[in-house]
Amino acid sequence: MQFVIVGTGGQGILFASKSLGHIAMEKGRSVVGSEVHGMAQRGGSVVSHFKVGEYLSPLVKVGEADVLLAFDQNEAVRNLHYLRDGGKLVVNLYDPEAFENDRLQSSLDRRKIEVHPVEGYSILKEHMGGRFLFLNVLILGAMCGAGVGGVSMDEMSQAIRDLAPARFVDENLKVLKLGYEAAR
Amino acid sequence: MSKRSILLGNEAIARGIVEAGCEIATAYPGTPSSEILPAVAAYSDQLGTKTAVEWGANEKVAYEMAVSASFGGKRTCCIMKQVGLNVAADPFMSTAHFDLKGGFLLVVSDDPGPHSSQTEQDSRYFAMFAKVPCFDPSTAEEAKEMVFDAYDLSEKHGIVTMLRPTGKVDHARQDVPLRDEVLPPRKDEFKKDPKRWVCLPAGVKVNHPRLNDKNDAIRNEFEEDYGKYNYVVPAKGTVRLGIIAGGTTFAFLSDMIRTSGRDDIEILKIGTPVPLPVKLCDEFIARHEKVLVLEQTYPVIETQLNDRTKIMGRWNGFVPRAGELLPELIEGIIAECLGDKVETSIDEDVRSAMEEMHVTPRPPMLCPGCPHRASFFAIRKALPKAINPSDIGCYTLGIMQKGVDSAIDMGAAVTAASGFYLASKVDGEERPVVATIGDSTFFHSGLTGLASAVYNRHAFVLAILDNRITAMTGGQSSPNVGTKLRKGDQGVQIDLEQVCRGCGVSYIKTVEAYDVNENVDVVKDAWAYAWENKEPAVLIFKHPCITILKEPPTPRPVRVDPEVCIGCKYCITSFNCPGLVFDESSKKAYIDERYCVNCGVCMSVCPHGAIVSREEA
Ligand code: SF4
Ligand code: SF4
Repeated sequence: MQFVIVGTGGQGILFASKSLGHIAMEKGRSVVGSEVHGMAQRGGSVVSHFKVGEYLSPLVKVGEADVLLAFDQNEAVRNLHYLRDGGKLVVNLYDPEAFENDRLQSSLDRRKIEVHPVEGYSILKEHMGGRFLFLNVLILGAMCGAGVGGVSMDEMSQAIRDLAPARFVDENLKVLKLGYEAAR
Repeated sequence: MSKRSILLGNEAIARGIVEAGCEIATAYPGTPSSEILPAVAAYSDQLGTKTAVEWGANEKVAYEMAVSASFGGKRTCCIMKQVGLNVAADPFMSTAHFDLKGGFLLVVSDDPGPHSSQTEQDSRYFAMFAKVPCFDPSTAEEAKEMVFDAYDLSEKHGIVTMLRPTGKVDHARQDVPLRDEVLPPRKDEFKKDPKRWVCLPAGVKVNHPRLNDKNDAIRNEFEEDYGKYNYVVPAKGTVRLGIIAGGTTFAFLSDMIRTSGRDDIEILKIGTPVPLPVKLCDEFIARHEKVLVLEQTYPVIETQLNDRTKIMGRWNGFVPRAGELLPELIEGIIAECLGDKVETSIDEDVRSAMEEMHVTPRPPMLCPGCPHRASFFAIRKALPKAINPSDIGCYTLGIMQKGVDSAIDMGAAVTAASGFYLASKVDGEERPVVATIGDSTFFHSGLTGLASAVYNRHAFVLAILDNRITAMTGGQSSPNVGTKLRKGDQGVQIDLEQVCRGCGVSYIKTVEAYDVNENVDVVKDAWAYAWENKEPAVLIFKHPCITILKEPPTPRPVRVDPEVCIGCKYCITSFNCPGLVFDESSKKAYIDERYCVNCGVCMSVCPHGAIVSREEA
């Protein structure tokens, strides 16, 4: 299973690959991926790769990702080429109207890409007082809700319990559920 | 080898360093190497070793501390990034000649691509230049294993050894085996022996030939005894191509062979490129009609080959001579080698969708709420005609505020200011110069430049952007903060104002970086003083980096009043905050709350008063 995770600096992307790695290790699988460090000030584009299975190279080749987790819809479009045909996209929409773009939709259809959108910011505004720092967990929840990536909601909840700072565990689990529901 | 754990490549290297019994580790932070030293501290605590860990003020300082600490027999190491080795090049070249006693490991991380550096230089060339053996890992696990062999080799031959990971190894996250036991510490038994430990010209007569002998011996060992790093991966089918590969390119080739079932490629994997096991390579080349060499970033393996006539690589330009060798690029190169058809899959639909949706890459930029943005804005506004040399760190991103005219390397903000001053002095014209440098960078190599400028009477304003941290590399502390690497260790805090006074600067002022309006006048005054007295004036713009704030400051939420905004875009082009964007349809600026941190600094930016406090609404 090969993941590409994209977004902008400050969105908590590294936590997503950490959780995926944690879950895979619990199942005794090998993992390798690449983190993004340096020059990734908040707001700049960020791409992280993650592979579960017998791989050595930390990079996903263009056209080979099974799952694209996009914390930002524009970054999703910019990195669509990483997905294989028939791959799955979990995307945080900020401006759903723009995402309706005909040419984009026709490419997604032609390549049989399964799209699972969540409107993360509005969900967080409504339920979490606009604390956007929970976006990463929301996307992970959406991924489980969409049933992609081979990770169950139970496994993800456990990973959050193991990895999140103790005093934020409850809030994180709440957000995870919000994401899960939104993408089901 | 009991358990495995998911580690960052840099953590794997650190774990190896501690497990191998290293007792003194030093570094200067630099991406992609920065996480190694903090992890050495963490593993040392976890495994109960007494390893000393210290940030040096710069790489030369760090290197000299670590290598000297090995003279008595201890295992020590020094860690830096590729451009850091330029700074430490002097002691590196000298001590390569020494007959060392304790194991000394130099870890230098290269940054092909480059993702966060001013050069793409290949440190393996530096190893060749110094005649020092170099290990080039393909994976995090291999990097960890190499640490042990590098120490053994260093002790056996009394030579500096280099481990040269690249960014994709440093920042790989991978499951890696851990050892429970740590190799026992060595005793420090330094013996006075000036012939051995004093670098004198007369010594070179002995030292250089001895170094050559060591190289011959090590090359032979690399040919024979290092099969775990240098070996052939035979093709499963009929061989059509031989590839010599090292570093992460080997990792990618392995994945490619496994996942795409490619069975027509035989690989010679080289993990010790310097000195190159040439016999191994010659034998491999002799067996193949064509040989492709894939390495990052310079043709280091390639140029050491005896016969390059049937080699395709970076040296003869078959492989691009610059840039990172990404998987898709390698795949294309192999196809080209074999004359296979390369599929180009540019999706026209997506391309035009990107245009229609205005999807452009977001380059790295100063964080919303970054104090540097406020400082640059005040500096530009005070003296729009000034020349603004700057330095290496987050503030280099001030280029987006048009606040950076030059950046050469660490410390060059100060010396470049001297240079620009001299150029205008010769013409007898007043041309303001306001240089910017970070606090950590100032201690790294700004100090000597400042002493030189005071002594020589150079008129410029030096703005030290004191954000209480080494921010770009992930938040290491620096001498003016005083905290040390190990939690709880307290160093002495060196006061920036006093340092500058000690260097002979007479005009020094510390200001709050967020106070944009006041600081415009402060900058003007400082320049007037510098020009009149023909000496540097120092301003310290102080405000902590927003990434280290424990408690968020009192929020000052803002909005753009659409009635007042005339759509001039001044705020966008001059202030350039991710939280402030322009709506092309309404031709007005607005606050993007996804990014805005409510610092309120932009209220002083709009010349038309359109950015107002949200309460006022
Ligand atoms: S990390 Fe700190 S210093 Fe760097 S851009 Fe962000 S706020 Fe500014
Ligand atoms: S907010 Fe002010 S500076 Fe920005 S576009 Fe409007 S009028 Fe111009």
